Amino acid sequence: MKQITLCVLFILISSLVLNGITTTAQAETDLSMLLKITKHAQKQLESQINQDSSDKIKQLFKEGTQEIEALEKSLINNDSDLAKKHFLLAMKIFKELSQQLTDNQSTQTTMTNNTLQDPSTELLRLQKYVDNLRSIAKKYNATISFSELDTLFVTAKNQITDKQFDDVLQTISKIKQITINLNNEIRSYSSQQEQSRATEYAQKYLEQLDRLIENAKNQGISENIIQKLETTRDDLSLATDPHDIIKQIREIISIKEQFELTKNDRLESRIMQIEKTLLELSNSEKLNQTELDDSKKTLQTIKDHMVNGDFETANELLRSLVTLLEQFRD
Amino acid sequence: MNSNIPIRLGEPIQEHGMLFVRTDGILETMVKAPLILASLIIVTVAMPIQTSFSSIRILDLTIYSDGTTHVSAKIEVDPLEPNFELDLFGQSIDNFIAVDDSGYLLSQEIVKDKAIIDTFGLSNIIIDYDTYDLISKEGRTWTFTFDSPSDYTLLMPKNSVIVGMSGLPSNMKLVDEQTKLDLPAGLSEINYVFGTINPTPEIPNESSFNYINAIIIGGSITAIVTGVVLILKRKQSKSSQLILHADSISNNQIESKPIESKPIETETIFNLRPEMREDDKAIIKFISDKGGQVLESELRKKFLQPRTTMWRAVKRLERLGVIEIDKKDLQNLVKLKKDLEEEK
Repeated sequence: MKQITLCVLFILISSLVLNGITTTAQAETDLSMLLKITKHAQKQLESQINQDSSDKIKQLFKEGTQEIEALEKSLINNDSDLAKKHFLLAMKIFKELSQQLTDNQSTQTTMTNNTLQDPSTELLRLQKYVDNLRSIAKKYNATISFSELDTLFVTAKNQITDKQFDDVLQTISKIKQITINLNNEIRSYSSQQEQSRATEYAQKYLEQLDRLIENAKNQGISENIIQKLETTRDDLSLATDPHDIIKQIREIISIKEQFELTKNDRLESRIMQIEKTLLELSNSEKLNQTELDDSKKTLQTIKDHMVNGDFETANELLRSLVTLLEQFRD
Repeated sequence: MNSNIPIRLGEPIQEHGMLFVRTDGILETMVKAPLILASLIIVTVAMPIQTSFSSIRILDLTIYSDGTTHVSAKIEVDPLEPNFELDLFGQSIDNFIAVDDSGYLLSQEIVKDKAIIDTFGLSNIIIDYDTYDLISKEGRTWTFTFDSPSDYTLLMPKNSVIVGMSGLPSNMKLVDEQTKLDLPAGLSEINYVFGTINPTPEIPNESSFNYINAIIIGGSITAIVTGVVLILKRKQSKSSQLILHADSISNNQIESKPIESKPIETETIFNLRPEMREDDKAIIKFISDKGGQVLESELRKKFLQPRTTMWRAVKRLERLGVIEIDKKDLQNLVKLKKDLEEEK
């Protein structure tokens, strides 16, 4: 028995340690890239330094360069810890150097000032947002016209080319207004789908609630709590509006938390997630029919264990199924 | 092996003293193995479940040149919950969209730095928005500060150069002339400036020296040099046919100059072409500063213009007779004309 215990302990500890090692290995940095970043910064800053630059600036640049040299040496010697240290030091020095240069070269802000005046970026972001809305509208087969927006985008781009920034701002304002209207139009399409999704969700929640009430009765939970749960269950079954459904479910969650009945919620959530994953995998054809059927059968067994109040077995089975499905997912 | 076990743990130990008896029972009395075992089982069981709810699966950030950041994330949510409260990265939020896995829109409400999204049993949601609160600017230096709940990617703006970094990236690559960093969870500060230097500095690497590339580059240089020599010779022969002695002297002077000779002053060009637009003048100035010739892609980068807009500007300048367009490595090379006065 002792040997078995020790063996299990060893396996568990090993798996935890190995898991830690894997995570660390994944986060390992490609060190040659650190040199690229520092060299690039060095080159950029060097181009801003001239003979009139202050001694402090020149000194900082020298120190930064020395750190890069040290970083290069550490890389040659495969000393990753030292390389990381020199990288961080070099970047710290270059940051200070950049700030010093900013103080000294206040006149050299043309590029950034131009960027601020130039509304190209705002237009680009709006374009991406509108593209997102367009693909959503397509999903709903919505008969929404984007032609006016397209024309306005072309106009704005031409205005930017001609540096008519005041006009661009007006055009952007128009685009924003139309976008708000389009958004509302799309939402009217999505609200129908949301309604059916909310009802479907409420139905599933009711099933879960039935299981919870059944278990509560078996565990000898007081009649008063069961009564409260049953009342909210009836209210939820009558709710059709998505907001009402949310309200009712929040009330149920509050009762569950109040009477510490949430311990199985995680298992319930996991079961729902597994159902979704199974659906995804069956659509993506990553699972063959036999594997899919086996997984569904296991899921049903888990649910049965849940109904019977055998949470430990349900949990064990669930973990095995999760591990299996994660492999297929990857 | 088996015969050794009774000798170490069996009879002799029990016969010769209490010390061994205590050692034998130490697991139960002092270490409490079952307790540790139970704790480890709980930890192992709880770990995957705890980490699987409301966790960010993918987080991608894109920094724009005006200091805004686009956030794009795929988040795993609790399917038992009717809605999901999302912590936004900032309070100034624009263009927020939440969709499900299939791309259908989800209802949401934004209150300060939180978005409440109606998920109704969904397992995953995808969100997109722009935030103004991750970047600050002092002088020329922009600072990105972000305390990330998960690992993420960060796409830097075009033409930006990182000049400060508080942490170590786990990876870096170039995507469409933009630096893309893979960064770990936690607080990161990145300082950057907008520069004119190409974001991929060549780092000599002896081990990866490519002879084929060297041959190709060498061959190209030889071809260019040969081409230049031929053109010069042709010009020379043309000039020799001219009777005017003064002209021939002038031609010889031009030939003796290297190809990268300084082009005519921009002020002269502007005086000769008073009708030139102000933005076009900026382009001419930039080309002149670059030694009289630049790639069109460099112009696009410098002036943040789309391809077609810059092409129109370049063609406009060509029509004015100020520049000429050549091909270099399948790219447009825009050169200031050196014989502008003659045309005028």
